[in-house]
Amino acid sequence: MELFFNTLGVVLAPSHFIMLIAGVLMGLAIGILPGLGGITGMTILLPVIYGMDVHSAFALLIGMVAVIPTSDTFPSVMMGIPGSSASQATIMDGYPLAKKGEAARALGAAFTASLIGGLFGATVLSVIIPIARPIVLLFASPELFMLAFLGISFVGVLSGQKPIRGFLAAGIGLMLGALGDAPAVPEYRYTFGLDYLMDGVPLVIVGLGLFAVPEIIDLLIKGRSISKVATLGKGWLDGVKDALKHKFIILRCSTIGVIVGFLPGLGGSVVDWIAYGHIIQTTKDRENFGRGDIRGVIAPESANNAKEGGALIPTFLFGIPGSGSMAVFLGGLLILGIQPGPAMVTENVDLIYTAIWSLALANVFGAGLSILLAKPITRLTIIPFSYMAPFLVLIITFASYQASRSWGDLVALLIMGFLGWIMKQYGWPRPAALIGFVLSDSLETYLFISVQRYGFGWMARPGVIALAFIILISVGMGIFYQKRKPSGAHKKHEKNLS
Amino acid sequence: MKKLQCVLVLLIALAFIAVPNAFSVDFSGKTIEWIIPFDVGGGSDVWARLYAPFLHKYLPGTPIVAIKNMPGGGSIIGGNHFASRAKPDGLTIFGSSGSTTFPYLLDNPRVKYDFAKYPIVFATPVGGMAYIRPEFGVKSVADLKGLKKQLAYASQGATSLDIVPLLAFDILGLNVKAVFGYKGRGPGRVAFEQGEVTIDYQTSPAYIKNVRPLVKQGQAVPLLSWGMIDKDGNMVRDPEEPDLPNLAEAYEIMYGKKPQGPAWNAWKAFFIAGFAVQKAVWLPENTPDEIVAAHSKAAEKTVADPEFQKVAAAELGGYTQLVGPAARKAFNQVLQVPKKDREWLINWLKTKYDVTIK
Repeated sequence: MELFFNTLGVVLAPSHFIMLIAGVLMGLAIGILPGLGGITGMTILLPVIYGMDVHSAFALLIGMVAVIPTSDTFPSVMMGIPGSSASQATIMDGYPLAKKGEAARALGAAFTASLIGGLFGATVLSVIIPIARPIVLLFASPELFMLAFLGISFVGVLSGQKPIRGFLAAGIGLMLGALGDAPAVPEYRYTFGLDYLMDGVPLVIVGLGLFAVPEIIDLLIKGRSISKVATLGKGWLDGVKDALKHKFIILRCSTIGVIVGFLPGLGGSVVDWIAYGHIIQTTKDRENFGRGDIRGVIAPESANNAKEGGALIPTFLFGIPGSGSMAVFLGGLLILGIQPGPAMVTENVDLIYTAIWSLALANVFGAGLSILLAKPITRLTIIPFSYMAPFLVLIITFASYQASRSWGDLVALLIMGFLGWIMKQYGWPRPAALIGFVLSDSLETYLFISVQRYGFGWMARPGVIALAFIILISVGMGIFYQKRKPSGAHKKHEKNLS
Repeated sequence: MKKLQCVLVLLIALAFIAVPNAFSVDFSGKTIEWIIPFDVGGGSDVWARLYAPFLHKYLPGTPIVAIKNMPGGGSIIGGNHFASRAKPDGLTIFGSSGSTTFPYLLDNPRVKYDFAKYPIVFATPVGGMAYIRPEFGVKSVADLKGLKKQLAYASQGATSLDIVPLLAFDILGLNVKAVFGYKGRGPGRVAFEQGEVTIDYQTSPAYIKNVRPLVKQGQAVPLLSWGMIDKDGNMVRDPEEPDLPNLAEAYEIMYGKKPQGPAWNAWKAFFIAGFAVQKAVWLPENTPDEIVAAHSKAAEKTVADPEFQKVAAAELGGYTQLVGPAARKAFNQVLQVPKKDREWLINWLKTKYDVTIK
């Protein structure tokens, strides 16, 4: 216990504190620039930390990774462009709010939710570390497959009244995810001999292509600014109040975020959709989702911040990255001379506490700075879009290019953008396609391992059966609440969600 | 007389140019680009970043040593880039790992690089140790002979570094089912702890940190190490676990004779490529001798540096780094594998795992 508070003193020491703030500032910048995410930030910082003392390096790295899920809300809300792969669901309701001129309110709610979610994640991390090992060990491949399946089951809810389209879109996403090298056999699928496709299509390009490009095109066609209203409406304080009003949503979604982060295999980019899908499923009055319901912003934002705390658990305890940026963070640990694993809880406990404090403090500063920046940045939504478009096109092109630094990235962006625009025009749910894409690898890998290892007996495992029940309940709830709405609202709701 | 003087001056000048001289090479103000065909943070990336500051210090002219990550295609893309683009001016070096060498050895048509043509600068060995779950009642390699039960091994793929453990288990006559799809040895170890798989191996740094505690707690039983190659090219025990028999000794313990035959020859070659010289640094084809000498000398000084030795012991497992001729000698054992042994392995992959290299 005293070690816990001692490390707070260590983190607050000026040299470490400066590193923390540096990390936070960097995380803010990376989050605000659309398309970049934790992996980019880690990649940039890793060569820098060589030779640094461990606590400073931790403060820097974690400061950065903790803040990205906060600051990535800016482009998602204000331009409908995913700030990072964990912030895609925020677009669904955040962007319509910006169009109504309520960007500041959306941001205020999002940052409050992010702050509370992040602190929740840090708290869970500190409490659970001693008992986490046996829990993670309970989730073997069959259980991880069921979790990925739970993720896919949200597709129905996210597709409104035409779940068929949702499942088909998810199918397209699954097939797109299968492109490239197969997870378990040395084969390449549909690469047509192209080196570029050997590793499949990068996630950042799929996200930007499906969401950012159609948005930019449509705004240019309509020839106006993002906000339909000339003056900005409610301010960020109202957003904060909204968030506090819905504190149970924050709590529930933070829990979801921590769990998804904690279990290696689902990946961070699906956590926001799971939270978003969950909140729709469990709400009776859902007509406003997709049109600017503030709850649709609060849910994913609290989940994606909490996920960072959760993702540190398997990274520290097992050396298994809980998300893509954690994979690079692991490399950082090795450079610093730390071998993550069971030894960490005994030998390097002080580092785990440093991480927890860095996470908590970074969230506080990140949210605070973001709120300060909210007012000036939201003015961008009044600028006529034809001035903004060139910068945005440049930024998303740059973000796509950093995926694998080859021409293929740009071609892929064009193709995905075209696909995304067509899906938008004809009302095919893009979130479903994205979820399919993200979960494709997990579903295939874990199913393949389960069948190889256990034959079909894997389905009789208690964990699998328990998760199957949860999936049934979740889907059932989604259908049940759906049926209670009057039919007029159905059509509106479904259009909102494409 | 004047003509003679001219000829003499010319001859002396030529003499200076012709002698390969490490001291005439100077990289000051330049940047050495070190291509690593893997992602930032991966094992090979960490290895390069540990070496880079020392190479910077010891290369003539203290040039910047910048790591250029070019992941993709299982490291084949980075290798191909090096093969086609690197100029023989000493400013580009290439770091390969086992996953770069294996496709080369297996005649993968996508591979455009050829290690036989490149001068090697230095190589870093790594060891591997295999262990089994306690519930089989196996206390050591000797008990394996009677074990008929099927074991499960978490594998990344039949053409990955896993060729070494899978073929080793085959040679020992174990009934091992390879479960494919795991993303690395880390997930493999977790699967072992969960009981999802029952036999596993880890590279030495991971074994030391993560498996030794399991052994102490009685949750894992160490079996054997793959072994190591000494400076004369002989198979010896792994210095990190001197009590564990290497594969040849394990076979002898179980069957009373030394292993031999195409399986053993193939295993030895792939073991050397995948472990004994797992990571290596190369210069492009036709690099002048003095540049190769300059790089080799910098590597020698690095290895002799006590600060580097400390770092290497902590991160790389404390094995003797191979430099210059020793590295070339070790890697030649890989390059000189008779074609029939390689073909035996390709055939083994096809019959046992239904894998053809396309």
